[in-house]
Amino acid sequence: MKSAWKFFASVKLAIVLLILLAVASVIGTLIPQGRTPAEYAARYGQLAGVFTGLQLTSLYHSGWYLALLFFFALNTIVCTVSRLPAKWRRAFSPKVEAEPSGLLAFKVKSRFGKNVSVAEARAKLEALLASRHYRVKSHSAGKRLCVLAQKRKFGHFGSDAVHLGLLVVIAGGIVSGLAGFRTRLELSEGQTAPVPRAPFEIRLDRFETEYYPQGMVKAWKSTVTVVEGGAGVLTQAILVNKPLTYKGFSFYQTSYGSDWNNPKLEVTIKKKNDPSFSRTVTLNVGERAAVDDKDVSQISVKRFVPDFVIGDGGQIETRSEEPNNPAAQVEGWKGAEQIFSGWIFAKYPDFEQMHAGKPTDLSFVLQSYRGSEYSVIEAARDPGVWLIWIGCLLVTSGFFLAFYWPPFEIRVVIEECRERTDVTAGGHAAKSRESFQAEFDDLMDSLRRSA
Amino acid sequence: MNESTLFTVTFILYIVAAFFYLAMLFTKKEKWAKTGRALAIAGLVSHTAALLMRTFQSGHAPFTNMYESLSFLSWGMVLAYVLIDRKSNIPRIGPYLMLIVVGLVALASSPLMPKEATPLVPALQSYWLWLHVSVTLLGEAFFAVAFVTSILYLTADTEEKKNKMDAASYRCVAVGFPLFTLGGLVFGMVWAYKAWGTYWSWDPKEVWSLITWLVFALYLHTRIVMGWKGKRSAIITIVGFLAALFTYFGVNYLLSGLHSYV
Repeated sequence: MKSAWKFFASVKLAIVLLILLAVASVIGTLIPQGRTPAEYAARYGQLAGVFTGLQLTSLYHSGWYLALLFFFALNTIVCTVSRLPAKWRRAFSPKVEAEPSGLLAFKVKSRFGKNVSVAEARAKLEALLASRHYRVKSHSAGKRLCVLAQKRKFGHFGSDAVHLGLLVVIAGGIVSGLAGFRTRLELSEGQTAPVPRAPFEIRLDRFETEYYPQGMVKAWKSTVTVVEGGAGVLTQAILVNKPLTYKGFSFYQTSYGSDWNNPKLEVTIKKKNDPSFSRTVTLNVGERAAVDDKDVSQISVKRFVPDFVIGDGGQIETRSEEPNNPAAQVEGWKGAEQIFSGWIFAKYPDFEQMHAGKPTDLSFVLQSYRGSEYSVIEAARDPGVWLIWIGCLLVTSGFFLAFYWPPFEIRVVIEECRERTDVTAGGHAAKSRESFQAEFDDLMDSLRRSA
Repeated sequence: MNESTLFTVTFILYIVAAFFYLAMLFTKKEKWAKTGRALAIAGLVSHTAALLMRTFQSGHAPFTNMYESLSFLSWGMVLAYVLIDRKSNIPRIGPYLMLIVVGLVALASSPLMPKEATPLVPALQSYWLWLHVSVTLLGEAFFAVAFVTSILYLTADTEEKKNKMDAASYRCVAVGFPLFTLGGLVFGMVWAYKAWGTYWSWDPKEVWSLITWLVFALYLHTRIVMGWKGKRSAIITIVGFLAALFTYFGVNYLLSGLHSYV
């Protein structure tokens, strides 16, 4: 137990862990994280198995990386706790008594004699120290008076505040990992969806994309209503950087997409023999639209795919949900008789594959296609986030204390010695030594010159 | 006078400042360094004006693309140098730092960097853009000065020069590290939480900020607790600066991730 404590109290261990964490983190940025086995196999060949086995492909969530973080946290706790009592005593209950010989061993020191009484020297010294914002403690024994002056005592604890802050951040991370949850909600306008684990639902009233005059996207804006017990309780717009928070749940505008199940299509019908003929109809999949021409009375769209591809078995599929190669299967009717059927392609208007019952001079162009837009809203609850902010505050204030709040300490022994008074002083500052030296010299100079 | 004229004036002032500093280096006459410093400060003033004008013209923070952020970083480096120079008074930092600044400004002016101010994409429309980017870049600017002083430490020939460089490096890290932590990590986490609902996603840019942070944590622990000073401290500072440089620059071009703006 004792040796384990000693092991974790070592700064050398901290240095080893800092290096290991840094190196491991670098590796995690060189190997893409969280991809599919097929992607790794294509990228690394035989090595893929080794990488997956060592969990390098999900490195930051791997057991060994978390173990490194755990040891780092343990090391931080033990290092901080084992050094704290001595620091605490030094700052808050220091020994005031000192020997002049001890003070002369300080790097910053001074010794001189004065023709005033101990009490007079003391009054002068204390006034000088007070003017420089030192807190003074004194101890008098016989003809000797010991004075201890301190300032910015809290500066001793800068590193401890940083360490505590880091531990609180790590604790926050654990809480987020265990108790936090997030989920994607895909909502079309008018749709209401239950929020998992929440006692309310959310309804998308409107989804809009705003554009700058130059044509770039200015904002994605989802106007949503929180529905509780069947009644709307709160309506608010969610934008990127402007989430909605309700009862511990937050809702973020993360993405949007088009639903290609039932897009609105625009088809233009032309005749090869009659260039002046052109008729455009708007229709949904499965719907018939009237053309009212002697050659074709109605057309319908049997099927639509956003990214047309012919699969291995010869069947027609979509490669993705992106409109990379939108295609529609149109059918033409003359009364009840189907006169043709075929695929037309929005990006390749000349490439139409018609299977006409009889030869036809009709041609079709897929003018436009618009899937109904849906908004992707991420719902999240993260009870660890407050710990993160408290930890960040501690780290930041700890840095301030450590770098810009240097504790200064001055010890003075005033002694009556053969008709005169001897003053011996020593000072200590772990940081900002130059400004401390200047302040110390200035103080001692003023004391020596005072009557 | 418009922004690009001011930027050109700044560029010229920096070049002439670098020239005078180099004259100091080769003639060993310190008076040239004074002229160099005055020109660098004049450049800083016109650079400030250029950044302000950019802000008013575009209506957003002047660091939303590579041109703007390089310009802001070089501004931060000159500012950091002027501040450190007041404390440490080491004119030898001047020539090397100004050469790097001239290089960065040249890179920003090159045709590689599109200069037109574009409206902000939705993800960048936040006041955290100001806080996160400006504080981080200022921290990185101080790391850049620490990098120069560390190189000069390694090449210095006398003990006195070495001590001065070591102290100046520490001073830069003492400013740069808290700024980097606050701007890069803390403000970054707050903004990520506000925009994406998660304060940490192990995105390459985030991880590289963490790596940079770990290197400077290593610097402080080896220096303060184990008493490593001088050469080893200088080497760790150089590694830390390179990590910060990669976080700023390399991640965007070499690794892919969420943080694909600048």
